[in-house]
Amino acid sequence: MSPQQTAVTIVMIEDDQGHARLIEKNIRRAGVNNEIAAFADGTTALGYLLGADGSGAVSAHRFLLILLDLNLPDMAGGEILARIKANQHLRRSPVIVLTTTDDAREIQKCYDLGANLYVTKPVNYEEFANAIRQLGLFFSIVQVPENA
Amino acid sequence: MPARRRSVARATLAFFLAGFLTLAAIVGLSIWLSERAKLYYSQTVMDRGVRVAAVELRHAVQTAESSQRGYLLTGNQIYLAPYGNAKAAALRELETIKRALAPRAEFQQALERLTAILAEKIPEMDDTISMKRERRDSDALAVIRTHRGKALMDEANVFFAGILRAVDERLAIGAEEQQANAAWLRWLTLLGGAIIMTVAAGAALTANRYTRELLAARSEVDALNTNLERRVQERTTDLAELNVELQRFAYVVSHDLRAPLVNIMGFTSELERGVASMKAALDKFMPNDSHGDAATKEARIAADEDLPEAIGFIRSSTRKMDSLINAILKLSREGRRTLRPERIDLRELVEVSADAIQHQIAAAHGSIQIDLEVGSIVTDRMSLEQIISNLLDNAVKYRMAGRPLAIVLRAKPAFDGRLTIEVSDNGRGIAEQDRERIFELFRRAGPQDTPGEGIGLANVRAMVRHLGGDIAVNSQIGMGTTFSITLPRDITNEKQVNA
Repeated sequence: MSPQQTAVTIVMIEDDQGHARLIEKNIRRAGVNNEIAAFADGTTALGYLLGADGSGAVSAHRFLLILLDLNLPDMAGGEILARIKANQHLRRSPVIVLTTTDDAREIQKCYDLGANLYVTKPVNYEEFANAIRQLGLFFSIVQVPENA
Repeated sequence: MPARRRSVARATLAFFLAGFLTLAAIVGLSIWLSERAKLYYSQTVMDRGVRVAAVELRHAVQTAESSQRGYLLTGNQIYLAPYGNAKAAALRELETIKRALAPRAEFQQALERLTAILAEKIPEMDDTISMKRERRDSDALAVIRTHRGKALMDEANVFFAGILRAVDERLAIGAEEQQANAAWLRWLTLLGGAIIMTVAAGAALTANRYTRELLAARSEVDALNTNLERRVQERTTDLAELNVELQRFAYVVSHDLRAPLVNIMGFTSELERGVASMKAALDKFMPNDSHGDAATKEARIAADEDLPEAIGFIRSSTRKMDSLINAILKLSREGRRTLRPERIDLRELVEVSADAIQHQIAAAHGSIQIDLEVGSIVTDRMSLEQIISNLLDNAVKYRMAGRPLAIVLRAKPAFDGRLTIEVSDNGRGIAEQDRERIFELFRRAGPQDTPGEGIGLANVRAMVRHLGGDIAVNSQIGMGTTFSITLPRDITNEKQVNA
């Protein structure tokens, strides 16, 4: 792994602890050893991403990959996605939407908001693991252009 | 209201009866009065004839007398010229008067006397004229000197005057009666007119009042109708809201159920993975054939049998639960799906659906007969395709073993801008108590010998209803089943409750 790739931090915004644990386990099992910053609600996640001043300057020199659950207790995942994609420092960070919804309109809405990938959380564990492994593959080829 | 209507009908009838009776009375009296007028008229004509005849008679007698006297005085024939005519005229007019007055008893005595006078007077004149002609002037003069002729003439004049006066009196009375008659007719007409006008006004008043009442009643009915429509509209809106609420509920519940399910499935896999590694460790450090203690044996049984069995049950249960949640999701999504109405060639659509199960039908030695009386329909293509395919699939799936499958698909127009599509089969049929259940989610009927989750018909009904139609089933157990779908022929004409 190149130094640049190891610098990528995975931001996981997921309120279900079980899901978070499963995602983490499978990311690790897929051989991805990047740092994972886990958040259980939207407010703290946005605090981390945008900083105390809300400008996002804090993320200017970070290399981030964001895993976003749409069903959060305090705010809609779509709103977080919109905030990320509207911020000049964050908008190039890839966002992967992870949710149980497979509603076509919901998926379309996420892509319209700028999501890079939409993954439906399947109950079938093998498929889920496979999807996570593909995410790992995605991490290995990801290019973060800002300040690079 | 009916009592009121009866009383109005009765009043109207009474008015008409009164009007008719009055009119009949007027007509009868008019005819009677005009008959009387005619009688007066003919009598007047006759009386005038008598009067003229009387005047003529008097004139003729006087002419004859003056002619006789002139001849007697002068002996000149010239005076005798009018005599013959006057005498004939006198006799003729006397006859006329006698004929005219024959029915009048009061004149008979006077007429007899007058006739006697003339019967004496005329021979007297004839005699004197004959004497003069025979130059017996003194004889003639002697006759005159008896003054009998003059007396007769005077008496005759009295009768003439009497007749004339009597006739004039009668004429005057007749004219008076005629006038009275006309007055009667006038008053009667006026009275009748007044009665008829009263009757007509009464009838018009009743009709007017009744019409007013009718109008009032109608506006009341209209108001009630409007109210009812508003209430139906409100209820419909409430139901539509409830429906939307229910679908949202189903959607949210199924979503929220899914999240823990993901955990159960995920950690079951983790468990499986853990069991596998434990088993590997057991195999490595305590081989199967070793003389291990009771605890080791138990651990082996757990790793080999108990844990895999438990995991297997968790797996199959979660899989089942997942498919149920998916079914609920699908159903709730179906109810919210935006329809895309388009004109669809029914035959084409049906044939495509039939072709899709052709090999299954062939395997069941079956046949499908398509009988369409409707050419096209404007509706959502995807929904209709799924409905037809689902019903055809069911027909194949629940066929009667050992009987060649026969499916009939019919479409015919129904009332109120709708059409009916029927899918009939000769399959195993559905028991009466199951005919509502089959449309419910996760419910199935009959022997559970074919795979299925009890979703198809629930979904079909949801789709049919979403298209503004309904589905019904008719079946005879062991004989076959017919599903009838009623759909609007043009969905764009329907009031969309869910819109």
